[in-house]
Amino acid sequence: MATAARPKTVAELSPRPNVASANQQLPGVADYEQVDRDIGGSLTPTAGWFGALAIAIALFLWGAGTWTYQIYWGLGNAGYNPPVMWGVYIISFVFWVGIGHAGTLISAILYLFRAGFRTTIYRCAEAMTVFAVMTAGLFPIIHIGRPWKFFWLIPYPNWRLIWPNFKSPLVWDVFAISTYLTVSATFLYVGLVPDIAVLRDRATNPVRKRILAVMSLGWRNSEKEWRHFARMYLFLAAFSTPLVLSVHSVVSFDFAMAINPGWHTTIFPPYFVAGAIFSGIGMVFTIIIPIRKFFRLQHYVTINHLDAAAKLCLFTSMVVGCAYLVEFWVAWYSANQYEQKYFWNRVFGEWWWAAWIMLTCNMVFPLSLFSQRLRRNPTWLFILSIFINLGMWFERFVIIVPTLSHEFEPWQWNHYAPSWVDISILVGSFGWFFMWFLLFIKQLPVIAIAEVKEIVPPKLRSPHPHEDAIDVTGRHQAYEPDTPGEFD
Amino acid sequence: MGIVAAFRELDATVDAIEDLKRQKITDMTVYTPTPRHEIEQVVEPPTSPVRRFTLIGGFCGACFGYWIAVWTSDYWPLVVGGKAIATWIPFTIIGFELMVLIGALSTVAGMFINSRVPKITMTVGWDPRFTHGHYGIWVPSTPDRARVVEETLRRHGAEDVRHEN
Repeated sequence: MATAARPKTVAELSPRPNVASANQQLPGVADYEQVDRDIGGSLTPTAGWFGALAIAIALFLWGAGTWTYQIYWGLGNAGYNPPVMWGVYIISFVFWVGIGHAGTLISAILYLFRAGFRTTIYRCAEAMTVFAVMTAGLFPIIHIGRPWKFFWLIPYPNWRLIWPNFKSPLVWDVFAISTYLTVSATFLYVGLVPDIAVLRDRATNPVRKRILAVMSLGWRNSEKEWRHFARMYLFLAAFSTPLVLSVHSVVSFDFAMAINPGWHTTIFPPYFVAGAIFSGIGMVFTIIIPIRKFFRLQHYVTINHLDAAAKLCLFTSMVVGCAYLVEFWVAWYSANQYEQKYFWNRVFGEWWWAAWIMLTCNMVFPLSLFSQRLRRNPTWLFILSIFINLGMWFERFVIIVPTLSHEFEPWQWNHYAPSWVDISILVGSFGWFFMWFLLFIKQLPVIAIAEVKEIVPPKLRSPHPHEDAIDVTGRHQAYEPDTPGEFD
Repeated sequence: MGIVAAFRELDATVDAIEDLKRQKITDMTVYTPTPRHEIEQVVEPPTSPVRRFTLIGGFCGACFGYWIAVWTSDYWPLVVGGKAIATWIPFTIIGFELMVLIGALSTVAGMFINSRVPKITMTVGWDPRFTHGHYGIWVPSTPDRARVVEETLRRHGAEDVRHEN
């Protein structure tokens, strides 16, 4: 008696998910027209988007109102308690600068390394960078209490003939952050120009068409434009790469230039840069996972892309974890009693809970990414990203507050607790960041249209028999489908 | 005046460009929805001069960064015993940041200048399909060679060929 063959299960059909080649291919995207249609279609506002924007604006207004209150009543409302004169504002400044770093890593450094998985996520990351640095830049101004005096930090000719002190880390910060914001915003905008031209030529609303025409600068997709564009993009990436390393190094000098226990160490620049990139990747997951789901862009930001980004996240987590451990080792090996006392105090002192949140969220939870199953699970990546954001905020808390509250002399020791003003302005900063980001994702393409077209096979009169298997570098690769059922 | 043609396929566009070049018609503009090496290879363009803008901008930025820090320190000295007034190591931060800033902005300016953007008019010799999925070739041509150009473009599978003034 003949027996019917048992249908093969999904696992049997594809026993191992394709990781090697599909990060450079988009099997769910057929042609250039589909790219325009899918990504352009994601710009239509939805009720959910309006709701999220309303929440973000409400949080921002709450924070702005609280700042106004603080300006009127003074910095005494901010929870500072001498000698702890750096609190939530400086913590949040470092946190938001760090968030911005992954954007440049993904858009510039991974571009130079020709990492294919960056193509569909870098636009989001770049926009995140610009808005995060905009947010970070607010905190030193909030922190100085008299924000109208901020321009004193900028070197400008004045009748008093006074110039800023270029040996001060505060002035280095001004130069580093303003350069970073300018270059990141420029990088984002020039990368957008060809995509804005696509939107311009598809727009039906005459007012929108006119605005897009101005923003696209008359871009026409000529070979000459692309040639100069490619060269410019390469050099901007080459400039952005050392810039991103320098910016958080300069931020770390705010601490490392002081002689306080826990701060005066040469490990700070690489430690801060690694932490910044780690936290930024966490925020990229927080943003990109809901976007791919709600905009139905799973066939662009594929599981393979998330998998590759998760490996990067795991790597940076291990670098950060190593830096945490090296700090303890250096304190022990230095035989400096103040350093040793500080690091004991860090994990068993008044703020032990903050240190353990930091260690757990940044060192322990990311180890789950050794599991391929979890790396390819967007829900877990999203949850993990929230823990990473939390852990990295507390990392900066652990760096700043225990040092200032526990300096050399016991009579200097004091407590610190953020006030409702600090917390409100911190919450308001998230509202400010997400307000800009939500406005961005419904006005401009959240995925780079022109770069995605580069990895979509072009239409040919006589197709190459292995066309689907030619990757962006021109190498032939055996075609493997993406994870079955991924787009169902 | 000239002729603009729209192609659906990349290889057809490449073939048309090659054929036009064989006929000594080289003053053409090629449009492509995304940069393609195949087109770059057949067009054989010169190296982009944007790199010179980058080099000059970066050099000027670094010089300005060091100069402003050194000059202002000498102009209003903050004297600390045993310490130099103009300190090169911290001033390298200012020099580096301004090198990146001016170098990056010069690079973008170089792209704008060489690509001739912003453009005010874009109606002649161009079609909105070129930002969508079509490839395009614009050949400025006199009436005597217009017929040859049109025939060449059609022979290689141009979806649409039209004369423009």
